[in-house]
Amino acid sequence: MLRVSNLTISYGGEPVLEGASLAVERGQFVSLVGPSGSGKSSLLRAVVGLQQPLTGTVEREIALSDVAILFQDDALLPWKTARDNVALGLTLNGMRLRQALEQADRWLERLGLGGFGHRFPQHLSSGQRKRVALAQVLARAPKLLLMDEPFASLDAIVRARIIQDVAALVEREHISVLLVTHDLEEAISLSEHIYLLSRGPRAHLTQDYSVPLPRPRDPVRARMHAAFAPLYEKIWNDLSYEVDRRR
Amino acid sequence: MNPRYVWVRQLAAFAVLLVIWEAAGRADLLNPMYAPSPSRIAAVLVDLFGSGRIWLHLEATFTAALVGLALGILTGILLGVLAALLPLVEELLEPVMTLLNAIPRVILAPLFFIWLGIGIASKIALAFILVAVLMFFTVFTGIRQVDRRLVERVVTLGGGRWALVRHVYLPSVAAWVLGNLKVAVGFAFTGAVVGEFVAASRGLGYLLSFAQSTYNSALMFALVLLIMVVVLVIFAVAGRLEKYLLRWN
Repeated sequence: MLRVSNLTISYGGEPVLEGASLAVERGQFVSLVGPSGSGKSSLLRAVVGLQQPLTGTVEREIALSDVAILFQDDALLPWKTARDNVALGLTLNGMRLRQALEQADRWLERLGLGGFGHRFPQHLSSGQRKRVALAQVLARAPKLLLMDEPFASLDAIVRARIIQDVAALVEREHISVLLVTHDLEEAISLSEHIYLLSRGPRAHLTQDYSVPLPRPRDPVRARMHAAFAPLYEKIWNDLSYEVDRRR
Repeated sequence: MNPRYVWVRQLAAFAVLLVIWEAAGRADLLNPMYAPSPSRIAAVLVDLFGSGRIWLHLEATFTAALVGLALGILTGILLGVLAALLPLVEELLEPVMTLLNAIPRVILAPLFFIWLGIGIASKIALAFILVAVLMFFTVFTGIRQVDRRLVERVVTLGGGRWALVRHVYLPSVAAWVLGNLKVAVGFAFTGAVVGEFVAASRGLGYLLSFAQSTYNSALMFALVLLIMVVVLVIFAVAGRLEKYLLRWN
Protein backbone atom coordinates (compact mmCIF):
# COMPACT_ATOMS: atom_id res chain seq x y z
CA MET A 1 0.00 0.00 0.00
CA LEU A 2 2.69 2.50 1.06
CA ARG A 3 6.45 2.09 1.03
CA VAL A 4 8.78 4.84 2.23
CA SER A 5 12.41 4.15 1.43
CA ASN A 6 15.51 5.84 2.76
CA LEU A 7 13.71 9.18 3.22
CA THR A 8 15.77 12.19 4.25
CA ILE A 9 14.07 15.51 4.93
CA SER A 10 15.85 18.80 5.48
CA TYR A 11 14.62 22.36 5.96
CA GLY A 12 17.84 23.86 4.64
CA GLY A 13 20.37 22.95 7.32
CA GLU A 14 20.99 19.63 9.04
CA PRO A 15 18.41 16.98 8.04
CA VAL A 16 15.61 16.62 10.54
CA LEU A 17 14.96 13.05 9.42
CA GLU A 18 17.52 10.76 7.81
CA GLY A 19 17.20 7.48 5.91
CA ALA A 20 13.74 6.52 7.18
CA SER A 21 12.13 3.43 5.66
CA LEU A 22 8.76 2.00 6.59
CA ALA A 23 5.81 0.22 5.05
CA VAL A 24 2.05 0.15 5.56
CA GLU A 25 0.34 -2.93 4.17
CA ARG A 26 -3.24 -3.07 2.94
CA GLY A 27 -5.69 -2.79 5.85
CA GLN A 28 -2.87 -2.34 8.37
CA PHE A 29 -2.87 0.21 11.22
CA VAL A 30 0.67 1.50 11.73
CA SER A 31 1.88 4.11 14.21
CA LEU A 32 4.99 6.23 14.21
CA VAL A 33 6.15 7.43 17.62
CA GLY A 34 9.15 9.47 18.61
CA PRO A 35 10.35 12.50 20.53
CA SER A 36 9.35 16.02 19.47
CA GLY A 37 11.38 17.29 16.54
CA SER A 38 12.11 13.83 15.16
CA GLY A 39 10.43 14.57 11.82
CA LYS A 40 7.26 12.49 12.30
CA SER A 41 4.99 15.12 10.80
CA SER A 42 7.50 15.88 8.04
CA LEU A 43 7.38 12.24 6.99
CA LEU A 44 3.57 12.37 6.69
CA ARG A 45 3.77 15.62 4.75
CA ALA A 46 6.23 14.00 2.35
CA VAL A 47 3.81 11.12 1.74
CA VAL A 48 1.08 13.53 0.51
CA GLY A 49 3.48 15.78 -1.39
CA LEU A 50 3.38 18.77 0.96
CA GLN A 51 7.09 18.30 1.70
CA GLN A 52 9.78 17.62 -0.87
CA PRO A 53 12.29 15.06 0.53
CA LEU A 54 16.02 15.65 0.07
CA THR A 55 16.53 12.01 -0.88
CA GLY A 56 14.53 8.81 -0.81
CA THR A 57 11.29 7.67 -2.34
CA VAL A 58 7.62 7.39 -1.46
CA GLU A 59 5.86 4.61 -3.36
CA ARG A 60 2.10 4.21 -3.23
CA GLU A 61 0.04 1.46 -4.81
CA ILE A 62 -2.89 3.87 -4.87
CA ALA A 63 -3.59 7.29 -6.38
CA LEU A 64 -2.94 10.39 -4.30
CA SER A 65 -6.70 11.04 -4.33
CA ASP A 66 -7.13 7.81 -2.33
CA VAL A 67 -4.91 9.18 0.45
CA ALA A 68 -6.45 11.39 3.14
CA ILE A 69 -4.69 13.27 5.91
CA LEU A 70 -6.05 14.45 9.25
CA PHE A 71 -3.96 17.18 10.85
CA GLN A 72 -3.57 18.01 14.54
CA ASP A 73 -5.60 21.19 14.08
CA ASP A 74 -8.87 20.56 12.31
CA ALA A 75 -8.15 23.29 9.68
CA LEU A 76 -11.80 23.57 8.65
CA LEU A 77 -12.69 26.47 6.40
CA PRO A 78 -14.25 28.93 8.89
CA TRP A 79 -16.60 30.49 6.30
CA LYS A 80 -18.17 27.16 5.37
CA THR A 81 -20.73 25.31 7.48
CA ALA A 82 -19.91 21.85 8.80
CA ARG A 83 -21.77 20.14 5.92
CA ASP A 84 -20.18 22.41 3.32
CA ASN A 85 -16.74 21.59 4.75
CA VAL A 86 -17.46 17.88 4.49
CA ALA A 87 -18.96 18.23 1.01
CA LEU A 88 -15.93 20.20 -0.20
CA GLY A 89 -13.70 17.12 -0.11
CA LEU A 90 -16.20 15.38 -2.39
CA THR A 91 -16.90 18.19 -4.88
CA LEU A 92 -13.16 18.79 -5.29
CA ASN A 93 -12.98 15.21 -6.52
CA GLY A 94 -15.73 15.60 -9.07
CA MET A 95 -18.94 14.76 -7.18
CA ARG A 96 -22.00 16.91 -7.89
CA LEU A 97 -22.86 19.35 -5.11
CA ARG A 98 -26.31 17.95 -4.29
CA GLN A 99 -24.97 14.41 -3.97
CA ALA A 100 -21.96 15.65 -1.97
CA LEU A 101 -24.22 17.47 0.49
CA GLU A 102 -26.39 14.38 0.95
CA GLN A 103 -23.31 12.31 1.63
CA ALA A 104 -21.96 14.99 4.00
CA ASP A 105 -25.21 14.86 5.97
CA ARG A 106 -24.95 11.08 6.23
CA TRP A 107 -21.36 11.24 7.49
CA LEU A 108 -22.14 13.96 10.02
CA GLU A 109 -25.06 11.85 11.26
CA ARG A 110 -22.80 8.83 11.47
CA LEU A 111 -20.30 10.74 13.58
CA GLY A 112 -22.97 12.02 15.96
CA LEU A 113 -23.34 15.47 14.43
CA GLY A 114 -26.83 15.18 12.97
CA GLY A 115 -28.43 18.62 13.30
CA PHE A 116 -25.08 20.43 13.47
CA GLY A 117 -24.50 20.55 9.71
CA HIS A 118 -25.58 24.18 9.35
CA ARG A 119 -23.24 25.47 12.06
CA PHE A 120 -20.02 27.26 11.26
CA PRO A 121 -16.82 25.79 12.80
CA GLN A 122 -16.56 28.72 15.21
CA HIS A 123 -19.91 27.67 16.67
CA LEU A 124 -18.82 24.08 17.35
CA SER A 125 -16.82 22.63 20.26
CA SER A 126 -13.27 21.37 19.62
CA GLY A 127 -14.52 17.77 19.75
CA GLN A 128 -17.30 18.53 17.25
CA ARG A 129 -14.84 20.26 14.94
CA LYS A 130 -12.57 17.24 15.09
CA ARG A 131 -15.50 15.03 14.12
CA VAL A 132 -16.32 17.31 11.19
CA ALA A 133 -12.68 17.09 10.05
CA LEU A 134 -12.88 13.32 10.40
CA ALA A 135 -16.11 13.21 8.37
CA GLN A 136 -14.42 15.39 5.76
CA VAL A 137 -11.61 12.89 5.17
CA LEU A 138 -13.62 9.68 5.64
CA ALA A 139 -16.41 10.80 3.29
CA ARG A 140 -13.86 10.64 0.48
CA ALA A 141 -13.57 6.87 1.13
CA PRO A 142 -9.77 6.93 1.35
CA LYS A 143 -7.78 3.73 1.08
CA LEU A 144 -4.96 5.17 3.18
CA LEU A 145 -5.53 7.55 6.08
CA LEU A 146 -2.63 9.55 7.51
CA MET A 147 -3.19 11.09 10.93
CA ASP A 148 -0.85 13.65 12.47
CA GLU A 149 -1.52 13.68 16.23
CA PRO A 150 -5.20 14.27 15.46
CA PHE A 151 -6.48 13.84 19.00
CA ALA A 152 -3.81 15.78 20.89
CA SER A 153 -5.91 18.89 21.52
CA LEU A 154 -8.99 17.08 22.87
CA ASP A 155 -9.97 16.49 26.48
CA ALA A 156 -9.77 12.91 27.80
CA ILE A 157 -13.39 11.77 27.42
CA VAL A 158 -13.98 13.34 24.01
CA ARG A 159 -10.65 11.95 22.91
CA ALA A 160 -11.47 8.40 24.04
CA ARG A 161 -14.85 8.49 22.27
CA ILE A 162 -13.45 9.83 19.00
CA ILE A 163 -10.64 7.26 19.06
CA GLN A 164 -13.24 4.52 19.52
CA ASP A 165 -15.21 5.85 16.56
CA VAL A 166 -12.12 6.13 14.38
CA ALA A 167 -11.04 2.58 15.24
CA ALA A 168 -14.49 1.22 14.40
CA LEU A 169 -14.77 3.14 11.13
CA VAL A 170 -11.28 2.22 9.98
CA GLU A 171 -12.04 -1.42 10.71
CA ARG A 172 -15.40 -1.34 8.94
CA GLU A 173 -14.14 0.51 5.86
CA HIS A 174 -10.87 -1.52 5.65
CA ILE A 175 -8.77 1.63 5.62
CA SER A 176 -4.99 1.44 6.03
CA VAL A 177 -3.70 3.95 8.57
CA LEU A 178 -0.39 5.61 9.37
CA LEU A 179 -0.76 7.44 12.69
CA VAL A 180 1.82 9.87 14.03
CA THR A 181 1.57 10.27 17.78
CA HIS A 182 3.63 10.89 20.87
CA ASP A 183 1.09 8.97 22.96
CA LEU A 184 2.27 5.38 23.48
CA GLU A 185 -1.05 4.17 24.88
CA GLU A 186 -2.85 5.48 21.83
CA ALA A 187 -0.31 3.89 19.50
CA ILE A 188 -0.45 0.44 21.16
CA SER A 189 -4.22 0.37 21.60
CA LEU A 190 -4.86 1.18 17.94
CA SER A 191 -1.97 -0.25 15.95
CA GLU A 192 -0.74 -3.57 14.63
CA HIS A 193 2.74 -2.24 14.08
CA ILE A 194 4.71 0.61 15.67
CA TYR A 195 7.84 2.35 14.43
CA LEU A 196 10.05 4.29 16.86
CA LEU A 197 12.01 7.33 15.74
CA SER A 198 15.19 8.52 17.46
CA ARG A 199 15.68 12.09 18.63
CA GLY A 200 16.26 14.69 15.91
CA PRO A 201 18.00 16.26 14.14
CA ARG A 202 19.13 13.40 11.89
CA ALA A 203 16.38 11.28 13.45
CA HIS A 204 16.13 7.75 12.14
CA LEU A 205 13.91 4.75 12.72
CA THR A 206 15.51 2.75 15.51
CA GLN A 207 13.00 0.02 16.34
CA ASP A 208 9.76 -1.45 15.15
CA TYR A 209 7.32 -3.54 17.16
CA SER A 210 4.43 -5.87 16.34
CA VAL A 211 1.45 -5.38 18.62
CA PRO A 212 0.16 -8.82 19.70
CA LEU A 213 -3.42 -7.69 20.33
CA PRO A 214 -6.24 -9.18 18.22
CA ARG A 215 -8.21 -7.06 15.73
CA PRO A 216 -10.92 -5.82 15.63
CA ARG A 217 -10.38 -4.27 19.02
CA ASP A 218 -11.87 -1.63 21.27
CA PRO A 219 -9.06 0.83 21.97
CA VAL A 220 -10.27 1.42 25.54
CA ARG A 221 -10.52 -2.27 26.43
CA ALA A 222 -7.27 -3.05 24.58
CA ARG A 223 -5.40 -1.36 27.42
CA MET A 224 -6.55 -4.12 29.76
CA HIS A 225 -5.12 -6.91 27.55
CA ALA A 226 -2.30 -8.90 29.17
CA ALA A 227 0.12 -8.05 26.37
CA PHE A 228 -0.45 -4.28 26.65
CA ALA A 229 1.62 -3.43 29.74
CA PRO A 230 4.80 -5.36 28.81
CA LEU A 231 4.82 -3.82 25.32
CA TYR A 232 4.14 -0.38 26.76
CA GLU A 233 7.07 -0.78 29.16
CA LYS A 234 9.42 -1.94 26.42
CA ILE A 235 8.58 0.92 24.03
CA TRP A 236 8.61 3.41 26.92
CA ASN A 237 12.13 2.34 27.89
CA ASP A 238 13.31 2.58 24.28
CA LEU A 239 11.66 5.97 23.84
CA SER A 240 13.10 7.28 27.12
CA TYR A 241 16.54 6.14 26.00
CA GLU A 242 16.10 8.07 22.74
CA VAL A 243 14.88 11.19 24.52
CA ASP A 244 17.72 11.15 27.09
CA ARG A 245 20.45 10.11 24.67
CA ARG A 246 23.17 12.72 24.20
CA ARG A 247 24.28 13.09 20.63
CA MET B 1 -24.11 55.57 33.25
CA ASN B 2 -26.04 53.01 31.28
CA PRO B 3 -24.10 52.24 28.07
CA ARG B 4 -27.39 51.30 26.34
CA TYR B 5 -28.44 54.95 26.21
CA VAL B 6 -25.16 56.36 24.92
CA TRP B 7 -26.83 57.45 21.65
CA VAL B 8 -29.51 59.35 23.63
CA ARG B 9 -26.80 61.27 25.49
CA GLN B 10 -24.92 61.96 22.24
CA LEU B 11 -28.11 63.21 20.57
CA ALA B 12 -28.94 65.41 23.57
CA ALA B 13 -25.42 66.93 23.54
CA PHE B 14 -25.75 67.66 19.82
CA ALA B 15 -29.15 69.30 20.40
CA VAL B 16 -27.68 71.49 23.14
CA LEU B 17 -24.85 72.51 20.79
CA LEU B 18 -27.39 73.42 18.08
CA VAL B 19 -29.42 75.51 20.53
CA ILE B 20 -26.30 77.41 21.70
CA TRP B 21 -25.19 77.89 18.09
CA GLU B 22 -28.67 79.17 17.07
CA ALA B 23 -28.87 81.49 20.09
CA ALA B 24 -25.40 82.89 19.39
CA GLY B 25 -26.40 83.52 15.78
CA ARG B 26 -29.60 85.30 16.73
CA ALA B 27 -27.71 87.43 19.29
CA ASP B 28 -25.35 88.53 16.46
CA LEU B 29 -22.39 86.91 18.23
CA LEU B 30 -21.53 84.94 15.03
CA ASN B 31 -20.83 86.42 11.63
CA PRO B 32 -23.32 84.67 9.26
CA MET B 33 -20.75 84.89 6.48
CA TYR B 34 -18.50 82.48 8.39
CA ALA B 35 -20.94 80.57 10.58
CA PRO B 36 -24.59 80.83 9.54
CA SER B 37 -27.10 79.71 12.15
CA PRO B 38 -28.57 76.17 12.02
CA SER B 39 -31.99 77.56 11.03
CA ARG B 40 -30.47 79.27 7.96
CA ILE B 41 -28.68 76.06 6.96
CA ALA B 42 -31.94 74.15 7.43
CA ALA B 43 -33.78 76.72 5.27
CA VAL B 44 -31.22 76.25 2.47
CA LEU B 45 -31.68 72.47 2.68
CA VAL B 46 -35.47 72.81 2.56
CA ASP B 47 -35.13 75.08 -0.47
CA LEU B 48 -32.75 72.69 -2.24
CA PHE B 49 -35.12 69.75 -1.79
CA GLY B 50 -38.33 71.78 -2.10
CA SER B 51 -37.38 73.28 -5.44
CA GLY B 52 -36.06 69.90 -6.62
CA ARG B 53 -32.75 71.46 -7.68
CA ILE B 54 -30.71 69.08 -5.55
CA TRP B 55 -31.75 65.83 -7.28
CA LEU B 56 -29.77 66.51 -10.45
CA HIS B 57 -26.62 67.08 -8.38
CA LEU B 58 -27.21 64.15 -6.04
CA GLU B 59 -27.73 61.86 -9.01
CA ALA B 60 -24.49 63.02 -10.64
CA THR B 61 -22.40 62.57 -7.49
CA PHE B 62 -23.99 59.24 -6.57
CA THR B 63 -23.55 57.84 -10.07
CA ALA B 64 -19.90 58.86 -10.25
CA ALA B 65 -19.12 57.60 -6.72
CA LEU B 66 -20.98 54.28 -6.96
CA VAL B 67 -19.79 53.39 -10.46
CA GLY B 68 -16.22 54.31 -9.44
CA LEU B 69 -16.64 52.29 -6.23
CA ALA B 70 -17.92 49.17 -8.02
CA LEU B 71 -15.28 49.31 -10.77
CA GLY B 72 -12.54 50.07 -8.24
CA ILE B 73 -13.48 47.16 -5.98
CA LEU B 74 -13.71 44.68 -8.87
CA THR B 75 -10.47 45.82 -10.49
CA GLY B 76 -8.61 46.04 -7.16
CA ILE B 77 -9.66 42.50 -6.20
CA LEU B 78 -8.80 41.07 -9.64
CA LEU B 79 -5.36 42.71 -9.79
CA GLY B 80 -4.66 41.90 -6.13
CA VAL B 81 -5.43 38.21 -6.68
CA LEU B 82 -3.35 38.07 -9.88
CA ALA B 83 -0.37 39.87 -8.29
CA ALA B 84 -0.46 37.65 -5.21
CA LEU B 85 -0.59 34.43 -7.24
CA LEU B 86 1.51 35.23 -10.32
CA PRO B 87 5.07 36.52 -9.65
CA LEU B 88 5.30 38.18 -13.09
CA VAL B 89 2.16 40.24 -12.47
CA GLU B 90 3.48 41.17 -9.02
CA GLU B 91 6.80 42.30 -10.51
CA LEU B 92 5.06 44.57 -13.01
CA LEU B 93 2.18 45.83 -10.90
CA GLU B 94 3.44 46.23 -7.37
CA PRO B 95 5.85 49.17 -8.06
CA VAL B 96 3.14 51.05 -9.99
CA MET B 97 0.58 50.52 -7.23
CA THR B 98 3.10 51.48 -4.54
CA LEU B 99 3.77 54.72 -6.41
CA LEU B 100 0.05 55.41 -6.84
CA ASN B 101 -0.47 54.66 -3.16
CA ALA B 102 2.33 57.00 -2.11
CA ILE B 103 1.02 60.07 -3.92
CA PRO B 104 -2.20 61.92 -3.04
CA ARG B 105 -4.20 60.48 -5.92
CA VAL B 106 -6.59 63.43 -6.12
CA ILE B 107 -3.78 65.31 -7.93
CA LEU B 108 -4.75 63.20 -10.95
CA ALA B 109 -8.09 65.05 -11.18
CA PRO B 110 -6.89 67.72 -13.67
CA LEU B 111 -5.32 64.99 -15.81
CA PHE B 112 -8.57 63.01 -15.92
CA PHE B 113 -10.39 66.22 -16.83
CA ILE B 114 -8.05 66.72 -19.84
CA TRP B 115 -8.29 63.07 -20.89
CA LEU B 116 -11.99 62.41 -20.30
CA GLY B 117 -13.61 65.84 -20.41
CA ILE B 118 -15.93 67.73 -18.09
CA GLY B 119 -18.57 64.96 -18.00
CA ILE B 120 -19.09 62.15 -15.50
CA ALA B 121 -16.30 59.92 -16.88
CA SER B 122 -13.51 62.00 -15.30
CA LYS B 123 -15.26 61.82 -11.88
CA ILE B 124 -15.76 58.08 -12.17
CA ALA B 125 -12.07 57.73 -13.09
CA LEU B 126 -10.95 59.63 -9.98
CA ALA B 127 -13.25 57.63 -7.66
CA PHE B 128 -12.08 54.45 -9.41
CA ILE B 129 -8.35 55.10 -8.98
CA LEU B 130 -8.78 56.01 -5.31
CA VAL B 131 -10.72 52.81 -4.58
CA ALA B 132 -8.79 50.42 -6.88
CA VAL B 133 -5.39 51.11 -5.26
CA LEU B 134 -6.86 50.68 -1.77
CA MET B 135 -8.50 47.39 -2.75
CA PHE B 136 -5.41 46.14 -4.56
CA PHE B 137 -3.29 46.37 -1.40
CA THR B 138 -6.11 45.00 0.74
CA VAL B 139 -6.36 41.87 -1.40
CA PHE B 140 -2.64 41.56 -2.20
CA THR B 141 -1.55 41.63 1.44
CA GLY B 142 -4.63 39.64 2.52
CA ILE B 143 -3.78 36.71 0.24
CA ARG B 144 -0.17 36.70 1.44
CA GLN B 145 -1.36 36.40 5.03
CA VAL B 146 -3.83 33.59 4.35
CA ASP B 147 -3.65 30.76 6.87
CA ARG B 148 -1.27 28.16 5.34
CA ARG B 149 -3.11 25.36 7.14
CA LEU B 150 -6.26 26.11 5.15
CA VAL B 151 -4.28 26.09 1.91
CA GLU B 152 -2.78 22.71 2.78
CA ARG B 153 -6.20 21.41 3.80
CA VAL B 154 -7.71 22.20 0.39
CA VAL B 155 -4.63 20.88 -1.45
CA THR B 156 -4.78 17.57 0.43
CA LEU B 157 -8.51 17.33 -0.32
CA GLY B 158 -7.60 17.42 -4.00
CA GLY B 159 -7.99 21.12 -4.77
CA GLY B 160 -5.92 22.88 -7.42
CA ARG B 161 -5.07 26.55 -7.90
CA TRP B 162 -8.60 27.58 -8.88
CA ALA B 163 -10.07 25.73 -5.89
CA LEU B 164 -7.64 27.58 -3.64
CA VAL B 165 -8.71 30.92 -5.09
CA ARG B 166 -12.40 30.08 -4.78
CA HIS B 167 -12.48 28.33 -1.42
CA VAL B 168 -9.56 29.89 0.49
CA TYR B 169 -8.14 33.07 -0.98
CA LEU B 170 -11.32 34.92 -1.97
CA PRO B 171 -13.24 34.16 1.27
CA SER B 172 -10.12 35.07 3.30
CA VAL B 173 -9.74 38.43 1.65
CA ALA B 174 -13.51 39.03 1.74
CA ALA B 175 -13.13 39.85 5.43
CA TRP B 176 -10.41 42.37 4.64
CA VAL B 177 -12.35 43.85 1.73
CA LEU B 178 -15.51 44.20 3.80
CA GLY B 179 -13.48 45.69 6.63
CA ASN B 180 -12.20 48.32 4.20
CA LEU B 181 -15.55 48.84 2.46
CA LYS B 182 -16.37 51.89 4.58
CA VAL B 183 -13.00 53.46 3.76
CA ALA B 184 -13.60 52.66 0.09
CA VAL B 185 -17.04 54.37 0.20
CA GLY B 186 -15.38 57.45 1.66
CA PHE B 187 -12.69 57.37 -1.04
CA ALA B 188 -15.29 56.98 -3.81
CA PHE B 189 -17.24 60.04 -2.65
CA THR B 190 -14.00 61.97 -2.20
CA GLY B 191 -13.06 61.15 -5.80
CA ALA B 192 -16.48 62.11 -7.18
CA VAL B 193 -16.78 65.37 -5.21
CA VAL B 194 -13.17 66.50 -5.81
CA GLY B 195 -13.59 65.71 -9.52
CA GLU B 196 -16.75 67.84 -9.60
CA PHE B 197 -14.97 70.55 -7.64
CA VAL B 198 -12.21 70.77 -10.27
CA ALA B 199 -14.48 70.97 -13.31
CA ALA B 200 -18.15 70.04 -13.68
CA SER B 201 -21.58 71.38 -14.55
CA ARG B 202 -23.45 69.33 -11.93
CA GLY B 203 -22.90 67.37 -8.73
CA LEU B 204 -22.42 68.19 -5.04
CA GLY B 205 -18.77 69.13 -5.71
CA TYR B 206 -19.90 71.58 -8.37
CA LEU B 207 -22.43 73.09 -5.95
CA LEU B 208 -19.70 73.38 -3.29
CA SER B 209 -17.46 75.14 -5.78
CA PHE B 210 -20.36 77.48 -6.64
CA ALA B 211 -21.01 78.17 -2.92
CA GLN B 212 -17.32 78.93 -2.40
CA SER B 213 -17.09 81.35 -5.33
CA THR B 214 -20.21 83.21 -4.14
CA TYR B 215 -19.21 83.18 -0.43
CA ASN B 216 -22.47 81.35 0.29
CA SER B 217 -21.45 79.67 3.56
CA ALA B 218 -25.04 78.57 4.39
CA LEU B 219 -25.13 76.55 1.14
CA MET B 220 -21.67 75.20 1.90
CA PHE B 221 -22.68 74.05 5.39
CA ALA B 222 -25.87 72.53 3.97
CA LEU B 223 -23.92 70.59 1.34
CA VAL B 224 -21.30 69.36 3.83
CA LEU B 225 -24.14 68.18 6.08
CA LEU B 226 -25.85 66.48 3.15
CA ILE B 227 -22.67 64.68 2.10
CA MET B 228 -22.12 63.53 5.69
CA VAL B 229 -25.66 62.16 5.92
CA VAL B 230 -25.33 60.38 2.57
CA VAL B 231 -22.03 58.76 3.57
CA LEU B 232 -23.42 57.77 6.99
CA VAL B 233 -26.38 56.05 5.32
CA ILE B 234 -24.02 54.15 3.01
CA PHE B 235 -21.81 53.28 6.01
CA ALA B 236 -24.86 51.80 7.75
CA VAL B 237 -25.71 49.71 4.66
CA ALA B 238 -22.06 48.59 4.35
CA GLY B 239 -22.02 47.72 8.07
CA ARG B 240 -25.12 45.53 7.69
CA LEU B 241 -23.62 43.84 4.62
CA GLU B 242 -20.37 43.20 6.52
CA LYS B 243 -22.26 41.72 9.47
CA TYR B 244 -24.26 39.39 7.22
CA LEU B 245 -21.41 38.24 5.01
CA LEU B 246 -19.05 37.71 7.95
CA ARG B 247 -21.64 35.94 10.10
CA TRP B 248 -19.32 32.92 10.31
CA ASN B 249 -16.81 35.01 12.25
